[in-house]
Amino acid sequence: MKKILLILLALSICVVSNTFAQGRKITGKVTGADDGQPLPGVSVVVKGSTSGTQTDPNGNFTLNVPTGATTLVINYVGFVTQEVSISGTDNVTVSLRSDVRSLNEVVVSAGYQSLQRKDLPGAVSIVGSKEVEQKPIASFTQLLQGTAPGLQVTGSSGRPGANAYIRIRGTGSITASSEPLIIVDGVQVSTTAYNGLNPNDIENVVVLKDADATAIYGSRAGNGVLVVNTKQGRPGAPTVRYSFQYGKTQAQKLKNVSLMNAQEKLQYEYELGFTNGTIDTMITNRGYPAGTDITTLTPTQRTDLWNLAISRGAGDWRDYLLQNATTKTHELALSGGADKIKYYLSGNISDYPGVERFSTFKRKGGRLNVEYQIKDWFKLGTNIGVTQTHDNRVREAYNSQNSYGALFFFNPYEQVYNADGSYNTTLSNGFSPLEGAVNNPVSYDRLNQFGTFFGEARFFKHLLLRSQYGINYNTLKYQSYLQPGSNLASILGYNQKQDQIQQDFFYTFTNTANWLQTIADKHNINILAGTEYNKSNLYSLSATGRGFPSKDYTTLENAATPTAATTSINEFALISYFGRVQYDFDKRYSINLSGRRDGSSRFGANVRFANFYAVGAGWDLRQEKFFTLPEWVTDLKLRGSYGTSGNNNIGNYEALGTYSLTGRYNDQTAAVPARLANPNLTWETTYAKDIGLTYGFLDGRITGEIDYYSRNNKNLLYQVQVSQTTGFSSYTGNIGAVRNYGVEFAVTGNVIRKKDFRWDVTLNYTHNDNEISELYVDNASLASSAGFGQLVVGQPIGTFYLTRYKGVNPANGKAVYYNRDGSETETYPSGQEVLLNGKSPNVKYYGTVGTNLFYKGIDFSARLYYSGGNYIYNQILQDATSNGSSIQSNQFTEASNYWKKPGDVVLYPNPLDPTQATVHDSDQYLEKGDYVTLRDVTLGYTLNNKLTNRLKVKSIRVFAQGTNLAVWTKFKGLPEVGDSNNERTDYPGTFNLYGYPPIKGYTFGIDVRF
Amino acid sequence: MNKRIYTAALSAILIAGCSKEKLNLYPYNQVATEQAFRSETDVTFDINGMYNGLRTSTSYFVNGIWNILGDVLSDNLVLNTLGRQSLKNPYYEYRYSATNTYGLFGSGYSIIRRANAILENIEKFPNGTFKNNAKGEALAVRALVYFDMSRVYSKTYLNASDADFTVPYVTTTDATITPANEPVKGFYDKVIADLTQAETLINANNSISASNTVSRLNKAAVAGLLSRVYLYKGDYSNCIAAANRALGTTPNVGSLTTFGSIWTDATDAGVLFKVKNTNLDNLNAQGVNYYQTVSQGIKSEYNVDYNFYQLFANNDIRKTIYIQTSPYSAVNYNHVIKYAGRPGTPVGVVDAKVLRTAEVLLSRAEAYYRSNNVAGAVADLVLLKSNRYTGYVAATDNALSGTALLNEILLQRRLELAFEGDRFWDLKRLNLPVQRANKGDKADGTGTAPLFTTLAAGDFKFNLPYEQTELNFNKNLKQNPGY
Repeated sequence: MKKILLILLALSICVVSNTFAQGRKITGKVTGADDGQPLPGVSVVVKGSTSGTQTDPNGNFTLNVPTGATTLVINYVGFVTQEVSISGTDNVTVSLRSDVRSLNEVVVSAGYQSLQRKDLPGAVSIVGSKEVEQKPIASFTQLLQGTAPGLQVTGSSGRPGANAYIRIRGTGSITASSEPLIIVDGVQVSTTAYNGLNPNDIENVVVLKDADATAIYGSRAGNGVLVVNTKQGRPGAPTVRYSFQYGKTQAQKLKNVSLMNAQEKLQYEYELGFTNGTIDTMITNRGYPAGTDITTLTPTQRTDLWNLAISRGAGDWRDYLLQNATTKTHELALSGGADKIKYYLSGNISDYPGVERFSTFKRKGGRLNVEYQIKDWFKLGTNIGVTQTHDNRVREAYNSQNSYGALFFFNPYEQVYNADGSYNTTLSNGFSPLEGAVNNPVSYDRLNQFGTFFGEARFFKHLLLRSQYGINYNTLKYQSYLQPGSNLASILGYNQKQDQIQQDFFYTFTNTANWLQTIADKHNINILAGTEYNKSNLYSLSATGRGFPSKDYTTLENAATPTAATTSINEFALISYFGRVQYDFDKRYSINLSGRRDGSSRFGANVRFANFYAVGAGWDLRQEKFFTLPEWVTDLKLRGSYGTSGNNNIGNYEALGTYSLTGRYNDQTAAVPARLANPNLTWETTYAKDIGLTYGFLDGRITGEIDYYSRNNKNLLYQVQVSQTTGFSSYTGNIGAVRNYGVEFAVTGNVIRKKDFRWDVTLNYTHNDNEISELYVDNASLASSAGFGQLVVGQPIGTFYLTRYKGVNPANGKAVYYNRDGSETETYPSGQEVLLNGKSPNVKYYGTVGTNLFYKGIDFSARLYYSGGNYIYNQILQDATSNGSSIQSNQFTEASNYWKKPGDVVLYPNPLDPTQATVHDSDQYLEKGDYVTLRDVTLGYTLNNKLTNRLKVKSIRVFAQGTNLAVWTKFKGLPEVGDSNNERTDYPGTFNLYGYPPIKGYTFGIDVRF
Repeated sequence: MNKRIYTAALSAILIAGCSKEKLNLYPYNQVATEQAFRSETDVTFDINGMYNGLRTSTSYFVNGIWNILGDVLSDNLVLNTLGRQSLKNPYYEYRYSATNTYGLFGSGYSIIRRANAILENIEKFPNGTFKNNAKGEALAVRALVYFDMSRVYSKTYLNASDADFTVPYVTTTDATITPANEPVKGFYDKVIADLTQAETLINANNSISASNTVSRLNKAAVAGLLSRVYLYKGDYSNCIAAANRALGTTPNVGSLTTFGSIWTDATDAGVLFKVKNTNLDNLNAQGVNYYQTVSQGIKSEYNVDYNFYQLFANNDIRKTIYIQTSPYSAVNYNHVIKYAGRPGTPVGVVDAKVLRTAEVLLSRAEAYYRSNNVAGAVADLVLLKSNRYTGYVAATDNALSGTALLNEILLQRRLELAFEGDRFWDLKRLNLPVQRANKGDKADGTGTAPLFTTLAAGDFKFNLPYEQTELNFNKNLKQNPGY
């Protein structure tokens, strides 16, 4: 069917082509109404067609218009669009009024078209460049936090360059990724590559939320779409911008708990009769009788040893494991345009040391975006970006090598260094992560290349053909060196280096035809049809060698014994056909139909192709003729949509039952069952409903949007449990459905809007309920969350499933738990976990409250981000209040609050009772994850014209900014939990472990335009 | 004109789209399951895959906790408080429950599946030695793993009633099964039947078997496994018969001079079956289970139980081959160095000796004793001890009989198989309690004593609990009593 449509479209081109190229020449000038200055780069288009031009640097334009054309549409960002009659005149002068509602007029690219914001179909939010520029955070993904309702961003960790978890309208998938599709200049990119973008190169990020907006992206759009558009040049004299930022960051401090200091820890150990290694060695060295321990020393002896240990000890390990990092960014950008060409050129270099010692992240990048209007009907362009990053990492695994974990594990009386200045490696947990970071370096060097090349031809009045080839080519050079002489090398008995190269090549070839026509001034038609082919090829090569002569030799050619060399290839392909029809009557009633047919290599041949569609409708009440809205309602639009999209984010070959040949036995090939087959494995399909209202009151002083949505994600991709007696625990299948529904609300109030004094307040709020709406299989436990989470119909994904803890029995100091039937037991019960109704790791509400203030040259803005309704299993708390079972590690001060005598009403049981000297998983450690953070505070000053004129520059702005300066929470520790740490794959937010801590920081910057 | 060319070209592309063939993509490192059994070469790879499972499993032999679990649970070891506290919770402190023991169940079946897949596909091959060997090895590996799983989860045959049950005996690769527990007694019969069939199938003279060094199950090894099962079953005549087939006429248990080389893989003397762990494999878990070497010396996870250490006589060569007394941070500990590994390889990289002739000999000695063949029992005891004690004089042992003889056989079993993960199952078999020394981890007995020193004979904790996730899914599987 679609093919027939396309043929008709192509044929129609030939038929109408003869009517083109007749008409007359119109000249004109466009100025700003406020100051009378000429406006360059203003779009001038013949109404009802796509033919048009732009004004030159002096605000002048010349345009050939067809005979019969009566009206020009004059459109410029930040100004009210005007229609000018050209009947009976060949020369027009236009004075444009600036427009506070300009956001609606912004032309953005999304859904394979460039449209004005107000014409974009469906529920869409736009994050402008101002919201992401010039922050001291190295991860672009994290910058999106709080910028749009319905867009939830949780930093996976505070590591510079770390990805964030992005969720649009809740978590729609479990094992398949719930990340939205990310399109940069028309090319799908991975989150990692996306993170390599320079935030200052971004023109806007378009968040597509409902089916009307996403269905055209088909099988990849089930969790929403982020369309990222990079900056384009603007016609006019070139502008050079230089900006410099200097920042200080540090790790956020724990909330509501504190680690014991040396005295407190030693006292706690003494009470529990534990002789630590440091004290034990001192006892031996002093020649006290064999068998002497902490409990048999005299008080004087004990005090002496303690004082000595305290004086030698590290004290606060923060001083050694963490650092105050200094971040620096330089950026130079050139933007401009001449007669036929527009260009944007930028280069940047930044340095973001991490707040954990020895971790660094450096980025260098450049971008060149050029558009060349070869003929008045034909345009060529390219967007090219290259980013190089270098990343030195410290360990984040849940073991003694974890650098941040060491802060909790190491005792304040233990020494950082030996007497000779080398690192002390005899710590209670057996490993010095500081020594490890220095002598076992791990580095990631990435090169991310984004390239889009396109040709665009306008035909006749109505047809726009566009052909685009885009690539995203990412290489990774990973090096992990277990240096000769390092502690770990001597423990393992060998030194080793692993080098790994990864090439990730992704290309997209997209062809679209777009027909735009206005008939009889009332019927606006926009038809789009296209095809797309996507192919991904991931190649990786890894080699390992041992026996390096010294740590100065870092290449594998110096290894005495090569020990491993492997390569692997992973491929994925997607073929698509898509189309859309948008129709509106008199700008009052609109209807959109869109569809896409996708074929994916990831699914079995029987279920390889799938269709996705959406229908959307809109009603502009302001334009309605049957009634008139009161004057104070400046804008009121109602819209709704229903449709489908898919999620194919699973491994590339999950449907196949296979034997893997990568194993061996006795150095011979071994074939090992790798996966159970599932020939019926198919797409997740999201069925989404949305109803929304866009409003503006009091001459646009109050504007905003409110949306209700519901999206039901069926055929949920998940591991279907099988009996372990089969030799497998699961296979990938379609197990049920999850529904996310909620309300998004955004409002902006312009309290003051004078020329040099503006003040506005913004608020956005999202409430999202997540629930499993259907399960096709019984009892799907969330194995990835160590059995702590369950999937139960009517409950959110990952609802906690734990034994309930009552407290400590004041009579005997024993921990009391509940059996399933509610009876109490002092023996930890097995198999008595219960589903904790409604308590899950899913955030239920989040949003921001912000304000912007401009007075003369001063600008001030502040933004609070809040998030809550989720629960977190606080594993750190469990480890650090271990009832003596982890007494080798440091503990929280509240661990001392244990039962000592009958009648004590305390937090923790009696650790001197052997039955109690352990920890059990229970809801004792389950805590609310609610928090509020002062995400941003910015104070800026733009120098006045007199000064800048004297300095011969266009503008200078200086600013100071604070990030996360304050956090309010009741959680014991740090509540912004994304990854538990970078090795675990638990359902995000389930556990609080020893991941890289979130940061707080200050930035100072200057921005000069020439 | 240009316009038309452009239009035509673009229209053509739009209409043509892409070939659907481009969606047929296959992995580069795997084959479809049905393609894994097409030829003898494929089956050889599959057999290797079965042994690979014994090596890579994180619960069983090379890469797992098998070589320490039975010692940690028993009275052979004491926790070192300066170690990493590995296995302390749940095993050492008997705090195991259905939700904190993982791996032993599922990873056993993961190996069993590999055997079952071979057995399901082997019948289509022509009769002959290749087929017989493949089938025999698959049956034997399956029986080996099943028997170890039943030792973990259930009462042993002699202590079990008809109502006592153990793990399901699965013989299919069907992924939809939810099998019920097998009665202990019937389970033993199945294991014995499989091993018996395997012993007849694996032909000692065929070509595969000739290359079957001790790194694959050969005829003698299968007979040795049978003697182990018969001992647990209390079928002493069959135990003796199987042991005879395994040991041959002149049993080699490793001599005074070669015994130490067994543990560095320099010799296979006295080894009936071992799981290979090559330098390329480089798995060091067996060593790391016990200790790591750091700059301050050997840092043990567990040291030798004080009382147990006293049982090693000074002229017992095992004392220094198994144990080293040396300081860590200036304090002496008795470290288990049995898995120090081959010279020139990282600590702990060593083959896993799953079945040794010494064990078979001791099983036979016990079976002789229990069949009232004192002379046979004494002869086997003397044979072993003469290869373990320097300056050994047999006179005392030759005079042994009755309980004293049994106790000496059992003592030698404990000493010989120390730190090989046997002790706890042996106590279970003999219905004896765990009785740890109330002494600390240091060589002189000071330091931190175990929090729990005893486990009464027949305590429900002798049988480990099934995992809750499996019980939740498979309603036909019953949890062991007490959990």
